[in-house]
This record gives sequence, structure tokens and C-alpha cells, in this order.
Amino acid sequence: MKRNYDIDVLIEKFKKKDKIALARLITLVENNPETTTNIFNNFDSSENDSYIIGITGSPGVGKSTLVNAFSKILLENGKSIGIISVDPTSPFTGGAFLGDRVRMTDISLHPNIFIRSLASRGYKGGISRAVFDISLLYEAFGMDFIIIETVGVGQSEFDIYNLAYTTIVIMVPGYGDSIQIQKAGIIEVGDIYVVNKKDLGGEDIVVQMEMMLDDATVQSGWRAPVVMTNSITGEGVDKLIEKILYHKEHLELSELLKEKKKHRFAYKIEELLSSKIGKVLESLISEDDLNKISNSVLQGKKFKIYDMVHDLFSNVKFEMKKSD
Amino acid sequence: MSKPGIDGHWRGGVVVSRGLRDAGMEVIFGGFQNVEQIVESAISEDVDVIGLSMHSGAHLAYTERVINLLKEKGVKDHFLILVGGVIPVMDFPTLKEMGVANVYGPGTVVADITKFIVENIKK
Repeated sequence: MKRNYDIDVLIEKFKKKDKIALARLITLVENNPETTTNIFNNFDSSENDSYIIGITGSPGVGKSTLVNAFSKILLENGKSIGIISVDPTSPFTGGAFLGDRVRMTDISLHPNIFIRSLASRGYKGGISRAVFDISLLYEAFGMDFIIIETVGVGQSEFDIYNLAYTTIVIMVPGYGDSIQIQKAGIIEVGDIYVVNKKDLGGEDIVVQMEMMLDDATVQSGWRAPVVMTNSITGEGVDKLIEKILYHKEHLELSELLKEKKKHRFAYKIEELLSSKIGKVLESLISEDDLNKISNSVLQGKKFKIYDMVHDLFSNVKFEMKKSD
Repeated sequence: MSKPGIDGHWRGGVVVSRGLRDAGMEVIFGGFQNVEQIVESAISEDVDVIGLSMHSGAHLAYTERVINLLKEKGVKDHFLILVGGVIPVMDFPTLKEMGVANVYGPGTVVADITKFIVENIKK
């Protein structure tokens, strides 16, 4: 049995808002990145611009449940939504257990929503390589909002900040003391902070967060608010939506949205370039060369590692082909 | 991996999902879902395999409804459909006639499911 992934047929159906076609095009850009150019050539810049919201936070803080809760309200307001939910890939087997959908059963059948789960597939930073490409597909499909939910993150996985216009960092009661809150990384990328599971307390974190945010010397004209929610009962979710829309308006009025959009593409351009250079390097530097260096390092030359890599690299002659 | 209907026995579906994960597969765990939700998930996620885990005795009715809806949407042949759970051997042929690729009853070894998927996946 042959599965149908004919790009021309899929594009034709996609343009008629066929979700089956959208799903299969996503499979193509995720599994066969070389098809992406061919697919994207069917769209032009006049396609819809979606508003991109990023949701991040540690494992189990309620990201998916909160996405479910606030998507419901956006849907009630007639908005269309494309969700991308990322869960981690096993570094040992390459397998993944994607469980975000379980929290979104409520909204999954709404005609104006599309949910796709993604495995991170070795990509660092809390998202996956295909997230950017899928966000472009959602834009072409005409989604009003795109919601990107990261894997459960630690302190330094905040690539979502490069793609989303509004980044929401979710915390829960028991996060840590005032020292934790001063740390760089995940705790500084939020445009909105949520303390979820408010039934468990968390007022102390809100106070610490408010103090930290008041002290912040980086000025973007936006003071990130802190919202308390209970994603299961829906308490506080209307407040969160209000803050999201308020931030959206702030970006639009201050022209910062243009900056965010530019940044989103610059981030991808840089990644695409590194990937091209990586491929060229891979083809030019042989396994033997690498083995020689590793062996020398082991044979008492560990302090020459920088020199040896530099020498190897200076002998490489670059020649780029468009297909790389 | 989905559990159609109201049947609180998650363990089987979870164990099999974990086994497939450990075999290097990406498993989207749908949990409790109705027929429409199962079909919607399978289509949106564009999965290769639909796994239905049932211990309620309603396997014939649910499987038939899932397959009918897949047919209605014109996507039945896009997927490999597997059914597992507490399912009497005498029902295996009926399920296969409906279009299920294989059925796994109590005592199944997860490695056998993995092997079957790898060998029968639709390209």
C-alpha cells in the first residue's frame, strides 16, 4: 500500500483548507526537509500572518492543560489556532512518548483548531527543528494564532523566545527562593509569567517575581505581568488571555512586533547557514582526520587540541553548491 | 495509541506505548478518546499506525466505528490498524475482516508488536 504524499495534490487540497493535506505536508517538512523548498515555493509573502504564542516551563507545570484552557476561550471568540506541542526524544533509542494531546481532548474536535505533536529529535533548546517550518505552514493555512508548547524545560532551554512574539513562562508553587528567581535564562525570557496550580499556594513566588521584575534594568517598555491560574478549573485563564492580547497590542503599537518578526527569521537563517556549513565541513573533513586528532589527544597532546583543530580547519578548501 | 470508550484500564496501552518508545518509535498517547477524537488525532498527527487498546468487551463495536469513520474520510488505507487488550481469540477473525492488521490478546510480548509494525508499515 502506497501512502499518498504527492506535493502538488496536497498543495491543491491545502489551499482549500483541507486538514488532511496540512497534516501530510507537516509530515513531509518534518521527515524530509529537502521537500520544504518545493512546498514553500507554492506560497507567497501575501499569505496570512499569524500571531505566535510560546508556552514554556518545567515538566509537569501544566503547559498543555493551560493551552487547552486558553485555546477554548480563543476559539469561543472565533479565532483559528494551530498548536505545535513538543515532547522530548530519547537520546538512547530515538523513540518518544508524546503525551500532550491527552490534555487537549476537549478542544481537539473544534473545526478551527489543528494540533500536532512533535518529538524534539535531538534538537536542543526545548523545541524541534521542524517547529519553524510548521509555523510557516500554519500561517499559509490561515491560522489567527499559533501556539508553540515547548518540551518541559530546564534553566537554559529557551529557543522558544526566538520564534514566539509572546513568550509565556509557567511556574508552579514551590519554584524556589528569591535567589532562583534572580538567575538568568528561562526566568528572564517571559513576556508573561504564570504561576499555575494556584490551589497549591504560590503567593510567595508571585511576590518574589514581582520584586525581581521591578528591579530588572533591561527596558523594553513592557513590564511582564505575573498571573496566577488553575488550568484545570480555568481560574485566572481569562486574566491570562487579557494579558496576552495586551502584550500583542503593545508590540503592534510600539513597532516591536516588526523586530520580533525579523528576529524570528534571522534565527532561522542563522540555523540554516550553520547547517549548510556543517554539511560542507562534514564532507570535507574525513573520519580519518578526526580520528587522528582524537588519537593524538589521547597520546599526550591534550593541550594541543585547539592547535590541531585550527590546523585541520585552515587546510579545508570551501566550495559551496546550491544543493548543500 | 488510544483507549476508545470508558474503560479505566490504562496499563496495557501504557506498557505497549513504552515498549514501542523503547524500540525507537514516536508514540502519541491519546488516552481516553471517542471515535471522532481517535480519527481526528490519527489524521492530524499523520501517524503510521493506529493502536486501539480495549478491555471493556466493546472492541468489536468500537473498532467497526473507527474503521467506518476512517473510510468515510477516505483515509482508511493510509494507516496500519492494530487492536490489543482483553480480546477473545474467537473475535480475532472478525476484527481482521474489518481491516485490522493484527490483534494482540493477553500474554503478548511487546517485541512481537514492534516486529510486526516494522515489517508491515505502509510506505
